Amino acid sequence: MYATADMLLMTPEAHAAEQPQEQAVEVVLVRGVLDGDRDCFARLYDLYAPLVHGILLARVPRAEVDDLVQDIFLHAYKKLHTLRDSAAFGPWIAMIARNRAVDFHRRSREMVEINDELRGSEAHDSRAAEILELIRSLPEAYRETLVLRLVEGMTGPEIAARTGLTAASVRVNLHRGMKQLREKLGFMEGL
Amino acid sequence: MKDDYLWDKTGQPDPEIQKLEEILGTLRYQPWPLELPVSRRRSYFPLLAIAASLLLALFAAGVWLQVRNQTAPQPREAKAISTPSSVEEKKPEQIIPKIVAPSPEVIAVNHKHRHRSVPTALSTREREEALLAKQQLMMALRLTTEKLSLVHRKPQNTTPANQIKNQHRVG
Repeated sequence: MYATADMLLMTPEAHAAEQPQEQAVEVVLVRGVLDGDRDCFARLYDLYAPLVHGILLARVPRAEVDDLVQDIFLHAYKKLHTLRDSAAFGPWIAMIARNRAVDFHRRSREMVEINDELRGSEAHDSRAAEILELIRSLPEAYRETLVLRLVEGMTGPEIAARTGLTAASVRVNLHRGMKQLREKLGFMEGL
Repeated sequence: MKDDYLWDKTGQPDPEIQKLEEILGTLRYQPWPLELPVSRRRSYFPLLAIAASLLLALFAAGVWLQVRNQTAPQPREAKAISTPSSVEEKKPEQIIPKIVAPSPEVIAVNHKHRHRSVPTALSTREREEALLAKQQLMMALRLTTEKLSLVHRKPQNTTPANQIKNQHRVG
C-alpha cells in the first residue's frame, strides 16, 4: 500500500525516478521472505494484491476473485525460492495470476451453465458490473490494462512497472482499449 | 492533455474517464488479511531421526558381529585342546587307544601338544610295543618302496619307444 499510495500522487518524472527504487524495495522484501521474515511477505502482498485482483477481475467471475487472490499469494509464498530474479516479483506473480485464471476456466468448462448464471446475476447487480462485462468482451491485452487503470486506480507507469510490460505497450493498450470501450458504451447508451 | 489523464492522471481530467473510475472503483480490491501457513521452512527432523536410527542400528550390528567373532571360536579350541589333557591327567591308561585312532578334531587342532604329552605318559612295556609296531611299519614301508620301484622299472624295459629314445640319447 505504501508505495502504491505514494505513487498515485507523483509526476511522471518522479515515477521514472521511483521505479528503480521500487524494484530495490521488491528485492529487499523478497530476500527478507526467503530469510524467513513473514512481515516482508505481508508488505509484498499489500503492494501486489491490487495487481493480482485486477488481472483476475478481467478474466474470472467476481465471486471467485477474492479466493483466487489468496490462493495465488499462498502459492507464491511457497514457491518464492524458485524466483530467480528478485526484482521480477511483479511480472512473476502476474504470470501466476494469468495462469490461474486459465486453469479456472479449464476446470469449470463442465459448469458453463453455473458460470453463465453468475455472469447474468453480476451483470444485473449494478452499473459497475455491466461496464466490467463490456471490458471483459474486449481483447485480452486491452481488458487487463483497462481494469488495472479504471478499477484498481493504477497509473500507466505503475502498470508497466508491476506487470513487466513496456510503458509504450501499456500506453497503446490503454488508448486502444479506451477507444473500443467508448464505442461499446455509446452503442449501449444508444439502445 | 486528456491522453495524459488516461496515462498518469495528470493534465486536464476527462469527465468520461472520471465517471468510469467512480463507477468501477466500487469493484476495487478491498484489503483482506492473508493467512500464511505456520512454517515456511521445511523441517528436517524426520530425515535426521531416520539417519540417526540407521547409524545406531549399523553401529549396534558392528559391535554385535565383533563380539560374536571374538567369543565364538574360543570354546571350540578350548574343547579340542582340553579333551586330551584332561584325559591325560585323570586316566593315563586310556591314552593309547586315543593315539591309535584319534578323532579328526584332535589331529587338526595341535600336533605339537600331542607329541609332547605322549612320551611322558608311556610306560616301558608300552614303549617296547610301540617300537615293535614301528619296526613293523618300517618293514612294510620298505616292502612297498621295493614294489614301487619294480613297477616303475617294468614299463621302461617293455616299451620300444623308450628304447629308441635311449638309443638316440646314447648315439
